[in-house]
Amino acid sequence: MEEVLKSRSGDAVKKQKVKNIIIMLLPIAALVVLFAVYVAIILANDYNLAINLETIVNQAIVLVLVATGAIFIFTLGSFDISLGASTLFSATVGILVFNATGSLLLLFLTCIAVAVACSLLNSVLSSVFHLPMFVMTVAMLSVLTSIAGTIITTNSTSAGANPAISVSDSVLRDILGSVDTVWFKVLILALFAVVCIFVFNFTKVGRRQKFLGGNPVCAKMTGIPLSVYGIIAFVMAGIGVGLGAAVNVTYTMSVSTGTASDIGMSVFIAIVFGGMPISGGARSRIYAAIVGGFSYIILNNILNLLLSSVDGRYGYVQIISAVLFLAIVYVASINYRVKHLPR
Amino acid sequence: MKHLGKKLVACACALALTGSMAALAACGGNGENDEVRIGVLVSDVSGEEAVSFRNYYTQYIAEQYNVTFTYTEQLNDSASEIAAIEQFAGQNYDAIISLSANDRASQAEACEEAGMYYAIASGMDDTIYETYKNNEYFVGQIGPSMSTEYEAGLAMGEYYADKIEDSVAIYGAFIPNPMHVYRMAGLLTGLGATYGGATGEAIVGAIFADSGVTASKISLEGKTVSYLAGFGDSTMTEMGTIIATDPDALLSVGMATTFFSAMLNEAGIPYADIDSFTTSNAANMQSGTLEYLAGKYTSSIGPIFAAVYNAVQGNKIENADGSAISISQDYWVATSYEQFEVFQTSDSVTDPIYNKELLDTVIGEDVTYEAFEAFVTTDRTPQA
Repeated sequence: MEEVLKSRSGDAVKKQKVKNIIIMLLPIAALVVLFAVYVAIILANDYNLAINLETIVNQAIVLVLVATGAIFIFTLGSFDISLGASTLFSATVGILVFNATGSLLLLFLTCIAVAVACSLLNSVLSSVFHLPMFVMTVAMLSVLTSIAGTIITTNSTSAGANPAISVSDSVLRDILGSVDTVWFKVLILALFAVVCIFVFNFTKVGRRQKFLGGNPVCAKMTGIPLSVYGIIAFVMAGIGVGLGAAVNVTYTMSVSTGTASDIGMSVFIAIVFGGMPISGGARSRIYAAIVGGFSYIILNNILNLLLSSVDGRYGYVQIISAVLFLAIVYVASINYRVKHLPR
Repeated sequence: MKHLGKKLVACACALALTGSMAALAACGGNGENDEVRIGVLVSDVSGEEAVSFRNYYTQYIAEQYNVTFTYTEQLNDSASEIAAIEQFAGQNYDAIISLSANDRASQAEACEEAGMYYAIASGMDDTIYETYKNNEYFVGQIGPSMSTEYEAGLAMGEYYADKIEDSVAIYGAFIPNPMHVYRMAGLLTGLGATYGGATGEAIVGAIFADSGVTASKISLEGKTVSYLAGFGDSTMTEMGTIIATDPDALLSVGMATTFFSAMLNEAGIPYADIDSFTTSNAANMQSGTLEYLAGKYTSSIGPIFAAVYNAVQGNKIENADGSAISISQDYWVATSYEQFEVFQTSDSVTDPIYNKELLDTVIGEDVTYEAFEAFVTTDRTPQA
């Protein structure tokens, strides 16, 4: 009898393991399928594959960089709604410094420093005022957007409807152009992803953050301080935002009040598309941002290609994306509706 | 098991979606081989002028020529402009016509990189034109030049110079937007005002140096000047305060008819603006207090289409020195409803001034720059 029970228990564990692997691979499989469909559409229409692939990287890179850093915050079960505003503010200060110095290194360092400072401010103020981090980020969203907007408006050189600060000097544009390549962007992403994976998977930081996200009361009772790991999470997110802001400047060579305005929501969608629960905790994965970010952008591009001759296609794209988002959350939530805590 | 069933249903839905996408893709195609495909960058998708421009291209030009126009969504920044250009390039579009001015330099560079012809259907900053005029894929720009913008402001200022007795309100729109800066410099000059001691075109440099207009620097002898610019949360309140001082007129370098028409009509304050000949402006002039309007007309974007079409067909029209074209278009000015009505009826989507018959005179293999320039600069202002 005991052996039968053991055998049944062993089978259940095996089934659970297989199930977990399938769940883990589903987002990657979805990305592969989306990519295959995308390439098929391009080839079927005799479109330019190289340009389209470059477009995907250009559109996804900032989102993926920001989302990768933000995984640390989402793991804690919190989220930062000021990511877009922080990207805008960092890019604004960064482009001013670059216009003044012409130094790429200073551009990147400034963007990272400003973004980390904004992130730390979020974290520290929420500790000081004993406010939930999410509430603090709502306030920061407003503050950073206003400051960046004021700086941009007073330094604007744009002939468009929206004020913008541009890099207008041709020598400086050449400097930015020299790093506005797919390989450079992929290299930046790869380096950052490696650092994040190391911190998240091979140090106690990731383990404890998952614990805090999964069961904050229990984690607190075992002596894991939320404030310390909250600060680490916001610092990592700040680095992602800074890198995203700098890469955005090298790509667009300008910053306007509309820059990165949709990043906050896109990060949220990307992480869900990547198969990570929005509640954080044990199932958090760094790769969710990369897989989800690219899936989201490829999906948008597929829909744009398919609906290219339809008036009001951007509305349809948004609606279809929203429906898919809900479907994914629903399918994912089926898996979370278990009687036991995730192991 | 129940959960597995739901997952299977979800997977089936996803597969069905994928399948239908592939089917759609297979049914799709790249259009006819000789069809010209033009992407249009726009930052305004709902304004009356923007809609009339769009209708002229998609309902008139597309019907007359073997050409397809694909419009972008509302482009709010440089990143969205570049992304749109890359998407058009990826779909083998032949050319881009830009009505979006967030970052013209980046647009030109992105089109050059993608090997697509690029043209601007409005004025552009001289510095940017000089930088990109020898770009192989830059067709050029046709629209009010900065000099024309200055002249437009000057004409408005001169028209009101004798009408202002005690006070004038000035709306600076989105200064330091170069177009608005040039108009403002012209307006102040026409009124006989100085800015920080600067006069004439020197005012342009002074405004750029200040990154905006400092109200206290405007000096108009014996008259009070109120100044407002931009549009934010408090703009309507600030305009209300200015209106309460009962100025002789409000002179605007742009956007006043969009933002303040209702307030000004209600208060009975005469106003002037540089905008376009739209239905709402007709109503403002007929039954409101709009008394001076310098504006563009629907088919004014016809010539730039002709230039792009020629370039795609292998005849890129260039200046004598081989650089891209840069031809200025003047504004039409209406100071009465009767005049406005003539302008409106003379140019429409179904019966435009730049109709096929006229455009055909500059579309072809043998069209020269001289002929094209004469075509664009010919005064076609309708007469009452």
